Amino acid sequence: MSGDVIHDIGFRHYAGERLGRGWVVRSLLIDTLRGAFGLGRPARSKVMPWILVAILALPPVVIALTVLLTGGDELPVSYTQYLTQLQLPIGLFVAGAAPYAVSRDLRYGVMPLYLSRPMLRTDYVAARYGGLAIAVFLVMALPQTLLLVGALLANLPVGDQLAGWAGGLLASLLLAVLLAALGLAVAAFTPRRGLGVAAIITILLVVSGISFALSGIAESRDRSELADLAGALDPFRLVDGLTAKILGVDPAIGELTPTTGGQVAIFALVYAVVVGACGLALVRRYRKASGL
Amino acid sequence: MNPVVMQLTVRGLLGRRRSVLLLILPALLLGLAALTRWAADGSPSASAGLTGDFAMGTLLPLMCLLVGTGVIGPEIDDGSIVYLLAKPVPRRTILLSKLAVALGATVVLAVLPIMAGAAIAGDEGFRLTAAYGLAALLAGVTYTTIFVTLSVLTRNAVIAGLLYALLWESVLGGFVPGVRDASVRQWALAAAERVLGPDAAGWGVQSDVSMPAGLILLAVVTVGATWLAIARLKTLRLTAAD
Amino acid sequence: MSAIVLDKVSRWYGNVVAVNDVTMTVGPGITGLLGPNGAGKSTLISMMGGFLAPSAGIVALDGGHVWKNPEIYRRIGLVPEAEAMYDTATGAQFLLANARLHGLADPGAAARRALELVEMVEPSDRAIATYSKGMKQRIKMATALVHDPAVLLLDEPFNGMDPRQRLHLMDLLRRLAAEGRTVLFSSHILEEVEQIADTIEVLVAGRHAASGDYRRIRRLMTERPHRYTLASSDDRALGAALVADGAADGVTLAGGALLVQASDFGRFVHALPRVARDAGVRLRDVSPSDESLESVFAYLVAR
Repeated sequence: MSGDVIHDIGFRHYAGERLGRGWVVRSLLIDTLRGAFGLGRPARSKVMPWILVAILALPPVVIALTVLLTGGDELPVSYTQYLTQLQLPIGLFVAGAAPYAVSRDLRYGVMPLYLSRPMLRTDYVAARYGGLAIAVFLVMALPQTLLLVGALLANLPVGDQLAGWAGGLLASLLLAVLLAALGLAVAAFTPRRGLGVAAIITILLVVSGISFALSGIAESRDRSELADLAGALDPFRLVDGLTAKILGVDPAIGELTPTTGGQVAIFALVYAVVVGACGLALVRRYRKASGL
Repeated sequence: MNPVVMQLTVRGLLGRRRSVLLLILPALLLGLAALTRWAADGSPSASAGLTGDFAMGTLLPLMCLLVGTGVIGPEIDDGSIVYLLAKPVPRRTILLSKLAVALGATVVLAVLPIMAGAAIAGDEGFRLTAAYGLAALLAGVTYTTIFVTLSVLTRNAVIAGLLYALLWESVLGGFVPGVRDASVRQWALAAAERVLGPDAAGWGVQSDVSMPAGLILLAVVTVGATWLAIARLKTLRLTAAD
Repeated sequence: MSAIVLDKVSRWYGNVVAVNDVTMTVGPGITGLLGPNGAGKSTLISMMGGFLAPSAGIVALDGGHVWKNPEIYRRIGLVPEAEAMYDTATGAQFLLANARLHGLADPGAAARRALELVEMVEPSDRAIATYSKGMKQRIKMATALVHDPAVLLLDEPFNGMDPRQRLHLMDLLRRLAAEGRTVLFSSHILEEVEQIADTIEVLVAGRHAASGDYRRIRRLMTERPHRYTLASSDDRALGAALVADGAADGVTLAGGALLVQASDFGRFVHALPRVARDAGVRLRDVSPSDESLESVFAYLVAR
């Protein structure tokens, strides 16, 4: 009975090093990025992203083969044109990834868990946004890079191709920033399962359809400057218009892109306003402590 | 048909954020139709372009998706469908009542606006309106039934429905010829093509499928999907909302 | 008077057996389905409620199959575990809809009666979305009672209830059982089951471990000796007398009380007053120290 000890094997305090806020944000960002592609999630959430990545990656291979066989000296589709032509799979990817990023946390009411860590509301939004934007960028940069590889293998002039590729990446970056902002803003207000996905893709498609219809109408009324401006409604045409002027590349839709400096300035303004408004909406959405 | 089920479903469909989209989209279509008329002076080809591509190809499947998943998806997802299932009401009745509400909503919110859009944008004696009305009705009924069935079968009905309606019918349909034969839109357009007769080609209303084949396929898919949904509802497992 | 009869019921998912060869009859009165988490209670209640098909065996209500038979819901009231309800409706509207779905002759009166039973009449005009958790639970109970069912199935009904609500619900269940209904509820909290259940059914790892009144189950477990705590005017003398008499296997003097171990319950019970009187010891307190459901339960789980 003497000399016995009872060991304390209860709750252990952690007295070691604690990594700071930056690390927390970085971890959440990487987690969002991986989750957008279904990594670290159950198998059925890998289906949609990877089908879309496959759909986006296949045409560059076909195009490169075509050039190889026909022996042209430039690609039939430029790096920036490619983005606009495949706007549907890109839009679907955003529609699937954005609700994953923010809707689930709101639906299950776990925001207090996030916010009780050394992480501010703005940190949370920034991390989610960064992760999603990087994911969307990668989804667009991959096929562009495949296109470059194919072009190089087909012995197209290296300098031109590299310049085009860099321009394409810039367009992808601008587009990723814009689409991620739009997607997150919509997803943050539609926490119900499935509604965010449907809402985002519906908005993207409808906006695109309206933009083209308005352009068509303006054209038939000989108001081509309005036709060009109507492109600002559609995210893809917006970015395409900006890069066409900035980079001097061929725009995706030929006649319907801004040509004057004034029009480009309007496009740039619309871009900034949209991204800013989405960011503001997001921050306000999370203003209440529980995020509800 | 059970009126109480239908009442609850209508209330659920219109009382959520979903309803905002359901009301805005037809309004946008009508606005675009008016603009198209102003721009193209009411030419039926322009009207057919707007209606065939935007309305039938984009708007109709999306509206049917929102409606079809909205009448039963959220209730299965959060488990509140137990209040309908734990009643002495046959499952068949429950599903058919919800399907009826969905079809009604599709007609009112999608088919009628599409017809109105075609008429507003430009028509010749309402023939285009009638043709597209018929096509939208046929396609809408089948789309909505498919999406209701998907909602009963899987929790990810929206994503599955989107991949089908958009990727299968639009993108792949553009590249792979065989796909067009297995597309609801083509089946429905076959009827529109027949109604318009000789004007169909001139106005750009074309289908790869012949009308009898199209109608049969539409009927088979609609009835088959309904039967499948009823069978699955009879054995639905209520897991806790995950 | 309705009874649910389970006959060799099993349920498996692939290689995992959730319910293993359970045979039981749930009759009128309050039955508590007890078991640790993961024991298969929810699965069993789902099968009884017609929401899950047994992989083997038959689940029957008054002779009729329960699976794929919506008519049984006229006689069964289910209190679901799901939290969500039709949030946009008011309490009264929701109950009215439920009453109409049951095909009742006077749905309005039935709904009002159910609201009175659960004491939710005043808030019934507000939307369900504005209710607290306890109020939502009471509305759930009302939906299960609106058609006056003979059988009531509740899956973990006391979850998240505060003490006052719990007392109210227990009272309600007792009243319903007194009217001749069959009430089955599941729980993993022993105190709840102890307080109102007439019969308990214990489920451990999918197997039916025990059934009946828990005091009688205790007596059936003769391998473990019964323990009693006695307080008397002279513990030491009493203890010695009991051991000498042979009525007790062992005695322990601890903390101002006498702890007695007796394997022969009957003999001990008869011997105690006699031995105490002969030894001139006054008994002040005699209580069983392990007849609680807790010890029964622990024993069954440990097996």
